[in-house]
Amino acid sequence: MKRLMLFVAAILMAFSSGTVFAKAPIKIGLMCPETGSWASEGQDMEKIVKLLAQDINKKGGVLGRRIEIIVEDDGGDPRTAALAANKLITRGIVAVIGTYGSSVTEATQNIYNEAKVIQIANGSTAIRLTEKGYKYFFRTCPRDDEQGKVAAKTIKHFGFKRVAILHDNTTYAKGLAEETRHDLEKAGGVKIVFFDALTPGERDYTTILTKLKSENPDVVFFTGYYPEAGLLLRQKKEMGWNVQFIGGDATNNPDLIKIAGVDAAKGFMFLSPPVPQDLDTPQAKAFLKAYVAKYHSYPSSVWAVLSGDALLAIVKAIRGTHSTDPDKLAYYLHYKLKDMPGLTGKISFDAKGDRVGDLYRVYKVDAKGHFVLLPRF
Amino acid sequence: MELFFQQLTNGLAIGGIYALIALGYTMVYGVLKLINFAHGDLFTLGAYIGFTLLTSFSLVGKMGPLPTLALYGLLIMGLVGVAGIVLERVAYRPLRSADRLAAVVSALGASIVISNSIMLIYGARFQVYPHHLLPDITLNMFGMKVPFLRMLMLVLSIVLMAILYLFVQKTRIGTAIRAVAIDHGAARLMGIDVNRIISIVFFIGPALGGAAGFMVGLYYGQLNFMMGWLYGLKAFIAAVIGGIGNIPGAMLGGLLLGVIEALGAAYISIAWKDAIAFFVLIIILIVRPTGILGERVADKI
Repeated sequence: MKRLMLFVAAILMAFSSGTVFAKAPIKIGLMCPETGSWASEGQDMEKIVKLLAQDINKKGGVLGRRIEIIVEDDGGDPRTAALAANKLITRGIVAVIGTYGSSVTEATQNIYNEAKVIQIANGSTAIRLTEKGYKYFFRTCPRDDEQGKVAAKTIKHFGFKRVAILHDNTTYAKGLAEETRHDLEKAGGVKIVFFDALTPGERDYTTILTKLKSENPDVVFFTGYYPEAGLLLRQKKEMGWNVQFIGGDATNNPDLIKIAGVDAAKGFMFLSPPVPQDLDTPQAKAFLKAYVAKYHSYPSSVWAVLSGDALLAIVKAIRGTHSTDPDKLAYYLHYKLKDMPGLTGKISFDAKGDRVGDLYRVYKVDAKGHFVLLPRF
Repeated sequence: MELFFQQLTNGLAIGGIYALIALGYTMVYGVLKLINFAHGDLFTLGAYIGFTLLTSFSLVGKMGPLPTLALYGLLIMGLVGVAGIVLERVAYRPLRSADRLAAVVSALGASIVISNSIMLIYGARFQVYPHHLLPDITLNMFGMKVPFLRMLMLVLSIVLMAILYLFVQKTRIGTAIRAVAIDHGAARLMGIDVNRIISIVFFIGPALGGAAGFMVGLYYGQLNFMMGWLYGLKAFIAAVIGGIGNIPGAMLGGLLLGVIEALGAAYISIAWKDAIAFFVLIIILIVRPTGILGERVADKI
């Protein structure tokens, strides 16, 4: 009886593994903030990557194999992300897409690099992530030195003379704030009247706004994330203070309007790569059509669209090298991938893993809460 | 000088909220000698229940904003109070005779359960209260611009605290609460139903926390399932500063913490404001370990 049971169990296991009679799928990890302050980004990332993977599988997969996306939640927090990364590397993934938030990505870089898993970040623009010499790390998002330059150019273009810079002590925000300050000081003609950080996750910023107001700036450049930006705009309006706020690219999210309210958000400007609705490549248009058909709305964030580009790059590399060997893939991505048509434009990576090209534009929020792209200046 | 008073009022308004939440911690500690770590999540629950009430059916059109919000406020206090009683029955009563550590672990577990339940029910993204429920008037007092709502928040907090203080000092049930806080056994000998009193405390404390949650949701607008963590931590610090187990202490601690945070941010550095507040906590604890209005610990002879 016992032997019979063992035999049956063995047969069942053989059948359930499924891979015995079919080719094993290519596993690609997706590490994203499904919960936490940036849950809207993570949820969009998952929708986009899964839609693209489904599309690719329908057309025959990669090298005759299906792609399987394995999602882990990083919670928008470095500690949770490190746990998620450790889980993912044991699942046999070839590459991982993620994540949003430079400090979160930074916590996982070493884990993936040591496990020789290709990591392509989609929403991590801090400069130092690619200055560490990690061979397997790439990013489809631009870098903060480019953003700092555009920030300084924008501030000078609008003629602001007294500039306040506010960040939130995260890797990304502090880096961007310092880049901007450096570029503004180099350009000259502006006075930095305030440079300090707020604590993210709090709700009451009236103390900070009161202090800012007493320094009398012409413009406040806030380099933190959209939850705090929304609250700042809302509380600034309640104080009756009309100063111009400019945000960095992490303030680009429709939830900003939800939190601040349309009245308070009107006139707010921010820097960002083009939002999904403004993407004009034929791939983007086709993809957006498919997305709207499935989910009945546009993707709300360009960072999530960049995760789609990350998947496309990985797939191209696997097809190009006919293998899933990390060293071959890394070499291909660094040196052989040139101007791949992606959702956000042409994708190429330089030797450090950064995306090549200039993407940053300036957006303004109109009276209805829509993001309007300002013409290049 | 004007800046000082402006920041002072900012701090007092925040402090009022901390004080309300701190009362929940202090009362529970008083009767059970337990830090109810799930209290911050009951605060969050209050905010979310308010959100549900306001977005599913709004009586604002029929009754006008103030009566509706007052009604909702009382409803929320009642519901969160009931949640508090359920919490006590499920997570703490079975462990009454066990090690203190078991109750602490249970409290942490309850906190995780409540915050994740909220996340599963309401979603992980931010929720926002409907805007413009209350008029956005800004009063001009002594040359400072103070939003009417902040004043209202502070006044309401003080009124609720005053009611609680009078309740505990002047009524029979209040006296019973104070007796249970001193000694369970002796209270039983005096004919007090200790379990009932503990349930009452677990109704009042979370009810105040829920009211604070509703006010925070109304004023700041933005809700997140983790928001209770930071507020709960600050309120706990406030309760300890004022003397844990002591009701006027919690009120004082809350207001003091809010003011220290605001003035520290204004005059020293915004980035360091939490460090400054906790540094003050350390100083106070070194100088007066039982807190400012400290708990009188009877000597056992």
